[in-house]
Parts: sequence; C-alpha cells; structure tokens
Amino acid sequence: MTSAYPSDNVNRLMDMPNQDKRLQLLRSAPMDSWIALSEDESRIVAVGATYEEVVKNSESAGFADPLLLKIPKVWMPISV
Amino acid sequence: MSLRLPYKKYPASHGYGFYYVAVLPVSIALPLANSPRSKRFEAIIDSGATRCQFQAAIGKAMGFDIESGEAEETLGINGVNRIYMHDISLYLPGGVVATRAAFSYELPVPGLLGMEGFFEHFQVIFDPVARQVGLDRIHQS
Repeated sequence: MTSAYPSDNVNRLMDMPNQDKRLQLLRSAPMDSWIALSEDESRIVAVGATYEEVVKNSESAGFADPLLLKIPKVWMPISV
Repeated sequence: MSLRLPYKKYPASHGYGFYYVAVLPVSIALPLANSPRSKRFEAIIDSGATRCQFQAAIGKAMGFDIESGEAEETLGINGVNRIYMHDISLYLPGGVVATRAAFSYELPVPGLLGMEGFFEHFQVIFDPVARQVGLDRIHQS
C-alpha cells in the first residue's frame, strides 16, 4: 500500500464542522443534483445535474479540492 | 492511522428533522498506476453492506466502462438493483486499497463503504454517545 491520503485532509476531517449550518446547506441544495462543498464544508461552491458537471463547475469556480455529495430526489433515511 | 470523525447530519425529509450518518470522504480511480483520482466524495460507512458500492456516474467519469463489468442483481429494501463489478483503487486514510467494488446507477448516495474493501482494513467503533465513528487502520502483512 502507498500513502495516498493527504495529511491536510485528515486534519480537516477531525475538525467538527458547524453541523447545523451544513444541514441547512443540504436542505437548500436542489433536489436530484450533485453539489460541491468548500473544503471546510461551510458553503456550496458548485452545483451540477451530473457528477461531471459539478466537477467542471467547481473547477471553474476555483475549487480544486471540494467535497462532493449527491442530493437525492427526496430526503429520507437511506437504506440500500 | 487513527481518526475520530463526527457523525454528519442529513435531512430526514422535506424541511423536517435530521438523522446522523457516519461518513468518510474518499476517492476512487482505475486500478492502474498513475490513474487520476475522482474528486473527494462523501461515502457512508455501512456495516450492513457486503462490499463497497459507488455511484456509476463517478466510475464512468473516471474511465470505467461500467456496463462491461460483471453484472449482478442485489436485493435491497427498495427492490432489486443492478450492479456492475469492477476492480478499483480506493483511497482511504492510511493508504490506497485495491478492491473489487460495485457500481450502480440507482445508488442514491455517492458511495457506501462495506465489509469487503473497507471494514477489513479498519477497526471501526460507532460511538452513539459522542456521535462519532472511530477508525483505526489495520495494516495486514
């Protein structure tokens, strides 16, 4: 195995984000879309109908390392 | 490599309530040297999943010929889903893992981290009091 998980990402993971603010962001996102959150997960920096579109839009907005989420058609507890 | 990650809140329904989910940002790539990685995406740590499963749109963008993978059908709570199996590189805390994972167009989230490919590489502690998940990487020889 090779080291492949940048230490700055690990440090970021261990910071408790503002959970309620993040929850509001998710609620505000368009349904059935992909969103890109800023590295500190405090704001939506790009939206797209597809994975490729949100990647393109986040790069155009100057965010090289966003966190991507898929917003479902309807919010409900997930069971696959 | 040891991490303690707070559970994340996901909306429970239209504007009301929330529930906690244990998640981890990960990336995937083709299992070839120097293949570009996907952007980081949020994957759910799912002890009930047999294997890791990812949204086919991510795999397709990273160069996987999704439909050429071994096709299987899985029985989930929502019915039968079609998945396509591929060898992948999965980027996790502590290093990249070579595993065989499923891709699905029906998956409502970017990814699920299951037994094969994820839990076999970590001691995982779900802490409902602190609302966090602890991950300790197991490096097997």
